[in-house]
Amino acid sequence: KLATLVPDGSVWDQVLKEMGAEWQRVTGGRVELRVYPGGVAGDEPDVVRKMRIGQLHAASLSVTGLSEIDPAFGVFAIPLFFDSYEELFFVVERLEPLLARRLEEKGFVLLQWGHGGWVHIFSRRPVRRLDDLKRQKIFVWAGDDRAVQTWRDNGFHPVALAATDILTGLQTGMIDALPSTPLIALSLQWFRQTPYMHELGLAPLVGATVATKRAWDRLEPADREAMLTAARAAEKRFEKEIPAQDRRAVEAMTERGLEVVTSDVPAEWREAAETFAQYVRGGDLPQDVYRQALAARDLYRSRQAEAAAP
Amino acid sequence: MQASLLRWAENGVSTLILAAMVALPLAEAAGRALFGAGIPGAGPIVLHLTLWITFLGAALAAREGKLLALATGELLPAGRGRALARVVAGTVGAAACALLLRAAIDLVVVEQSAGTEVAIGLPVWVAQLAMPLGFALIALRLLWRAADRWPGRAVAAAGLAAGLVLGQFPHWADGAAAWPGLVVLVAAAAVGGPIFTVLGGAAVWLFLCEGVPAAAVPAETYRLTVSPTLPAIPLFTLAGFLLAEGEASQRLLRVFRALFGWIPGGTAVVAALVCAFFTVFTGGSGVTILALGALLFQALTADRYGERFSLGLLTASGSLGLLFPPALPLILYGIVAQVAIRDLFIGGLGPGLLLVALLAAWGVREGVRGRSRRWPFSGREALAALGAGKWELLLPLVVLVAIFSGFATLVEAAAVTALYAFVAQCLVHRDLSVRRDLPRVVTECATLIGGVLIILAVAMGLTSYMVDAQVPARLLEAVQVYIDSPLVFLLCLNLFLLVVGCLMDIFSAIVVVVPLIVPLGAAFGVDPIHLGIIFVANLELGYLTPPVGLNLFLAAYRFERPLLEVWRAALPMLAILGLGVLLITYWPALTLGLLEWVGRQ
Ligand code: NA
Ligand code: NA
Repeated sequence: KLATLVPDGSVWDQVLKEMGAEWQRVTGGRVELRVYPGGVAGDEPDVVRKMRIGQLHAASLSVTGLSEIDPAFGVFAIPLFFDSYEELFFVVERLEPLLARRLEEKGFVLLQWGHGGWVHIFSRRPVRRLDDLKRQKIFVWAGDDRAVQTWRDNGFHPVALAATDILTGLQTGMIDALPSTPLIALSLQWFRQTPYMHELGLAPLVGATVATKRAWDRLEPADREAMLTAARAAEKRFEKEIPAQDRRAVEAMTERGLEVVTSDVPAEWREAAETFAQYVRGGDLPQDVYRQALAARDLYRSRQAEAAAP
Repeated sequence: MQASLLRWAENGVSTLILAAMVALPLAEAAGRALFGAGIPGAGPIVLHLTLWITFLGAALAAREGKLLALATGELLPAGRGRALARVVAGTVGAAACALLLRAAIDLVVVEQSAGTEVAIGLPVWVAQLAMPLGFALIALRLLWRAADRWPGRAVAAAGLAAGLVLGQFPHWADGAAAWPGLVVLVAAAAVGGPIFTVLGGAAVWLFLCEGVPAAAVPAETYRLTVSPTLPAIPLFTLAGFLLAEGEASQRLLRVFRALFGWIPGGTAVVAALVCAFFTVFTGGSGVTILALGALLFQALTADRYGERFSLGLLTASGSLGLLFPPALPLILYGIVAQVAIRDLFIGGLGPGLLLVALLAAWGVREGVRGRSRRWPFSGREALAALGAGKWELLLPLVVLVAIFSGFATLVEAAAVTALYAFVAQCLVHRDLSVRRDLPRVVTECATLIGGVLIILAVAMGLTSYMVDAQVPARLLEAVQVYIDSPLVFLLCLNLFLLVVGCLMDIFSAIVVVVPLIVPLGAAFGVDPIHLGIIFVANLELGYLTPPVGLNLFLAAYRFERPLLEVWRAALPMLAILGLGVLLITYWPALTLGLLEWVGRQ
């Protein structure tokens, strides 16, 4: 039993269901995957709780749910930490052994990575300077009280709402701006109220499929091996398809009136991002994980620089 | 001595929790507006207070013997049979409650080892202690109330012990056939067992038979009771309760009579309007009939309306108003179906007005035929009545502005409404004394809230079982084989909901049935907002449907009439409102027209 928030019938859902069929084939029918998509089993913290009590056996989670299990996953939410998918994939590969070990200590097994696109700010009025954003009410997840305080301390106007209240909030003017990936903004129609997308990709929406160790250890070692191979094949499909899907989503929204806004002063965004990065690091994020991520990213950048040099 | 200490503590704590649930959202909204900063952790803490008021309120309801039960138990003849039924209901109830208690403990233990936090350092597992505490108190009280003497209580104690033992060795049930247990639970419900023990017991039992840990049920209970909009329900109920306990009904009767009493059938129209006004706030919980029934019945009969007509009209009006903002069933539907609550409010206006107009038209017909008394219009009386009732009349405006202006969330709007009702009833009109009446009224309100929310909370576990067993997907496949026209689908939906409405109360029906219906509606191309309005309107009808519609029993109880007489009196109203529901179902523009016009989400 695997639960996820991704919408029924979406790319992610399709890939997961195909992976389930593959699992059944390679294990000779000993494993049968039931996927519960679209949040029918609850929000991500609920899903993690249900894995802990043993009702669910696996889940495909975003950073939010993964951080419920291990705050180390917050490293992927640091704004402007990554510049490109290539950089992200490189760092993910280097961090994987460490993160997988940490998950295992908490009773979970990492099966595959997933990618949800890149998060941008969508807003009612164009945001060219940081001040333009400070004048708009920005959505923050209800329940993340520290995030609300951090936004406030930096002169923004955060409004904490449940995800289900986002549309109402946009419609009634309770919120004017929110961070979202293009694909989600398109599929949930948020972009109709927020027709301006800032060009800057703040952070990737990283996800992963994890199983509980209890359920995983019940399987035959050979089955586990075969299932992991299938999961990794599905991961490759995410890596290939999601960046393209995000580009297509931006094109589709632009046709329907979305305007991509460029910033006048990129430096001030870097500064603000650094403040929020400190907030993420100041939370529960383990320092060794952060240092390793930073080292891997800088290694990638120096290699790129070498390759580019004549 | 100890019992009275516990009683005092329970009343005091539940009053404090409700007060904090009003104060925290208001302070948060005010802080945001004035200083650009709210209170740290206010949001998550209010959500967890809802969890506590649910379980404390339910324990209060168990103490007072007010846990909601099917009224079919009342049909049993008094004497031996009824005493036996009481023991059976108490025993099964205690067993189910013990299973839920054990499951809640399992959840708390898992949560403790996970080390999760509500806010500002408060661990989630501490907040979750409300569940085992509540279930334990309720189980003991069900045992106590199972009989007046010890032999009966001993049988109930054996039931409680059996539940605990099964909770300790859950694998005994793994792979067992589910139906014998379900039959026992349904039988206990039929003879008057509390509804929540049946739904919760069934959920745990079904999971155990599948080998799924029982903690799955309290996990869902927790998820529902801390969902972000749920605090609106207890807060609006509190507002409705304060109004009903004060003399607001007299003032409103005077206003509506001064304005509409001159038309033929005026008093009947006025009665329908007053009922709709109250039901908006009290929800479908039957408070309207209990609080206003006597006053309006007297007004109607004094103005020469027939007894049977008056009885039928008030029985039907008890659920009128469920489609107007901020009606609680619409809020709950929005939470469960994940559609915009604001859109449901706007969509419900047209259908709500249609139902009120239909009943009012029937009242006019009766008034003309029976030459009932009319109240000549007087400008001076109208002004005086408006002046006296201005605080109550402004209430809907306060609610609407709070909800639609963008200044407040639904929960904050509900807190404003509760505060406003408190100020109007206790400080301006002084109908209720803060020291003498308020503690009693708030405790009674907590009892009612707990009685309703505990049902929803465990019904969510049953829903989760159905999702787990992929019932909605299978139902969709099955239905698509037999039905391919949207019209046939809607007709089947009407009939199905009519049956559901007369077997379940409106809130648990929403929690259990909506997840089944929403995928079907989407497959047949029914607009999600329209589906929500059809759903609530149809269930409203269920309140009136013999043999077990809730309003029929409440009316029989309040007006001290035999049930059969109430059934007969309600039949014409059932026909009229049924016509209204058909119109709402097959004329989507009634719901969607206004919504398209103001722009939907
Ligand atoms: Na569920
Ligand atoms: Na009913």
